[in-house]
Parts: sequence; structure tokens; C-alpha cells
Amino acid sequence: MKWLDALSENTARTLARRTSRRSVLAGLGSFLLGVTAVPLLPVARGADTAPAGGAPKADPGDPSSCDYWRHCAIDGFLCGCCGGSQSACPPGTDMSPVTWVGTCHNPSDGKDYVISYNDCCGKSACGRCFCNRNEGDTALFQPGQSNDYNWCSGNAKANIPYHCSTARIVGSAK
Amino acid sequence: MRAITMPSARLLMLCALLAGSVRAELPSDSEHGPQVASLAVPASKHWVWVNDFVFPHMSDGMAYLVDGDSGRYLGTLSTGYSFAHLLLSRDGKVIYSPETYFSRGTRGTRTDVVTLYDPGKLTPIGEIVIPPKRSSNLPMIANNVLTDDDRFLLIYNFNPAQSVTVVDTKLRKFVREIETPGCALVYPTGPRSFFSVCGDGSLSLVNLDDEGAAQQKRTEPLFDLAADPVTEKAVRIGPVWYFVSFAGRIYPLNADPQHAVVGKSWWLTTDAERKDGWRPGGVQQLAVNAKESRLYAIMHRGGVETHKDPGKDVWAFDVSTRQRVQQFALKNLASSIQLSTDAHPLLYSIFIDSTDLDIYDAASGKLLRSVDHIGTTPTVMVTP
Repeated sequence: MKWLDALSENTARTLARRTSRRSVLAGLGSFLLGVTAVPLLPVARGADTAPAGGAPKADPGDPSSCDYWRHCAIDGFLCGCCGGSQSACPPGTDMSPVTWVGTCHNPSDGKDYVISYNDCCGKSACGRCFCNRNEGDTALFQPGQSNDYNWCSGNAKANIPYHCSTARIVGSAK
Repeated sequence: MRAITMPSARLLMLCALLAGSVRAELPSDSEHGPQVASLAVPASKHWVWVNDFVFPHMSDGMAYLVDGDSGRYLGTLSTGYSFAHLLLSRDGKVIYSPETYFSRGTRGTRTDVVTLYDPGKLTPIGEIVIPPKRSSNLPMIANNVLTDDDRFLLIYNFNPAQSVTVVDTKLRKFVREIETPGCALVYPTGPRSFFSVCGDGSLSLVNLDDEGAAQQKRTEPLFDLAADPVTEKAVRIGPVWYFVSFAGRIYPLNADPQHAVVGKSWWLTTDAERKDGWRPGGVQQLAVNAKESRLYAIMHRGGVETHKDPGKDVWAFDVSTRQRVQQFALKNLASSIQLSTDAHPLLYSIFIDSTDLDIYDAASGKLLRSVDHIGTTPTVMVTP
């Protein structure tokens, strides 16, 4: 683990540029308008579980590795190492609806995808498979671009305690 | 280790008996009942509080007090979930700590409080319940501040709506929450005023009255947060807040309750040094000796996205001449530095991923002593 790993709490990027939770969600909605209506890979949803038998070939790589293609902008403990998966939270945690995103290149199909790094909240830090990529990070003045905020903040069911982060496909980036 | 033989053991017992016969017995420690150490009040100017958000176990925030003159570990405070840092009253009579707790450890009802501690006993002496909105982020000095006369304690909230909690330290009660939409953190500018920095580079200038009621006004954008953004880790000398950009450019912000002006910017580095990759980095990457108008920066060589990386070099500048007046190499990597506030300041250095506290003579850069095993993930340091 490189030194910076310990620094970065759990959050790298979020869609939030405004201030209220409502406007954050509005920001998410407006951002999604820029995403193609027909995702090339399935859009992950909160209740998803890890696919049996590992990732399909169209989704190459090891989701428990920091090098996995979806992790291009992640900052946190990988939920796949903590009892969940790249798209599902571990048992007993709560997925934060507020999230930060990255645009990652899938080497298998050559497409760029918008990846949503939803945090899983409500238990102490998992502590496994920390992964941090700091590109584009800026100060706390711009929450949507700062990786130093804890985005479990304000979660209705599990306010603050951060456990791990997922990397869910929202859709292809155009 | 070789086993002691029976004859040797007898010899030792004999020696002990003989020694006992010629020396007075040590007094019993139990005669006076349980004993607990206490500390001098006010604190020595050479004491330092090392704050720790204990990243692997964030429900267990802590702060550690170390004597810079002796290296002696003096005491500890336990400070709850996602701890940022302590605030020391200017008269040295109380320590304030914004804290978060859950009724069942990491679940249940969240309660945020400002705990007041006795600085001599390190025990809680009071508690002020505040809105459960404290920002959970990598700790910054600007998370919580006291106004210049210590009357109000200001706490940055993020849930993710942004606001500031105002606590009256005189009445020891929560006063109000000030909405600061789009603006983050708190930087005091006087006894009744502060500013927050907004996402477009403007400032929200906030004025309080004696009851804590607030008036706000927004400036024009003063910082360009796009090309080479400034960090949150500004330091203050008098009316001037010194912000530094990721690349190492200093923006002196002269702020009072009604106005804010950015003066002429200047670089920590020469053109050649920038070309060579030199830039500041770290969690608490700047520190000041206000009496001598000196600004200290942790420096390292790295790429554009290494603005939080630690460094092994400290450069010091005279902010009045903008000239570098000193530089020295540290023994260990540092992500945070802080100075004592006396006439012969110590410079404290610590790294978030390695918990040895190094103590230097700030004037010479000479390493005086190191104190090992200070916490888990130490972040910012505060000095009386």
C-alpha cells in the first residue's frame, strides 16, 4: 500500500457540485442525460450480486485488483474483497445513493464507460484491497472533484461509517 | 537465556537481603491510594497535540500530547468518530473538541458534540450538543476554528449540504447553523468574522454579531480553481491568509470582515526547480512563524497529481520579501509540519503512514529528538 492510500478517505469523485442533497441528486440526474440510453454492459443496481463464476469476458480483469479497468477513478477499499462485489455492497451494509464517478476504458470492447463508485456504509472500514487513483482530484472547495470527502455522509440509514466502495457501470460514455 | 542455577539464585537472594539491610525501604506506592498524573496549566509553548483520525478504525479518534523539549509523551484524549482536531483556547484554560458518536458504536443514533476538556487533567468538563452534520473528510485545520477572541467556535458541516455550526464558548451553547451553499471550510478573519471558499473560487464573507447572528456576502471569484487550484491548507499571518496552489504558487489573501483581496502571487520555486518537479505536498504542508513572517513548506519532487505526497525537505520563506531564507532536509518523510509559537520555535514533523514524531530546532533545522509510535494515522498538529 503506498503512503497516499492512508490519506484518501474513501471518496474520489462525485457528481455533486451543488450543496444540498436534493441538488446533488438532481446533478446526478442531469449527468445521466449525457449517458447513452442503451448501455453496452448491464447497468449495476443496488440489489445486484456478483455474477456466479466470475466476470464475463466482456468485463475483463480481476475485480479484486486495483488494476481492474473499472477502478480508474476509485478511492477506497474494494467491496469485492469485503464480502460484496464490484457492483454490490457486502452483507449488512447500506449503499450510499450519492456517489462519485469516473470514465473508464474497457480494454475488451474498446469503449469508455461511466463508472459510479457508490460507497457501502454502516460498518467500520473493511481495510482490505485499498485502491486509490488520484487523477483529477482537487480541494474540498469543489466536493464533486475532491477525493477527501466521506460520501457516506448524510446516508439516511448509515450516516458516516464507511466500509468499502463499489464500481458500478452506469452506461457508456459519449 | 541461560537458566539461573540454584546456587546462583541463593547468591542473588543473599545480595538482596544484604542490600535491604543497609538501605531504607522504598515507600509503598499504595499509601496514597490511586494516583493519576496531571499537567501544568497553561501548557508549555513547546508542547504539541498530534491529532489522529485513526483511519482503519475511525470510531476511535485520538489526540496525543507530546513535550517537544523532552520528547516525553504526556497524555491522550479519545475523541470519537471521524475526528478532525482539537482547538486550544488562547488562555490555555480549556480544550475544545468537535466529536461524533453513535449510540451503538458504528450504528444507532448519531450525536455530534463539542466536548470541553480540562487541560490539566485531560478529563471532560462539559459538552455542547451540536447538529449531527460535522463534515467527515481528511482532517484540515479549516474544519474547525475559533474566532479571534475565542468567543465563537465554528465547525464546517457537510451532509452533503454545506453549512457552518456556531457555538458560543462563553455561554457554552449551540447558537445557530449558517447555510454556506457551495462554500467549504472556515477561515477566521477577526473576532466576529470568517470566510468560506466557494466552488467557483469566490469567498463567502460572514460576519457575526455578539449573539452569533450572521450576515453574509459573496465576493467575485478570487481563485482560479481550474488550472492550478489552491489547496485548503492555508496558513495565516496577521490579516493575510497564504494559500498555496498544487504547483507551489502562493496567493496572499488579505481578508477582513468586509473585504478580501488577493495580493501579488509568488512561487515557492524557481523556474528551474519547477522544471525539475519541485512542489509542496502533504496533509499539513504549510506552517508559519508569525512573529518573523516565516512560511515553511514541505517540498518534494513529483508530477502534477502529487499535491498530497509527503516530502523530505522543508523550505522556509520570508513572506515580506518572498525570498527563500532557509532549507533543510528532514530525517524522515513528512506529511505534516507545525511550529511552536514562542520566540525559539520548534518544528514538529510527522508522516501519516509512519508514526514517529520528529522535533527540530526551526532556526537551524537541526533534529533534536524523535518520539516513536505516536498514534496510527496522524494528521494535523496544533500548538498552544
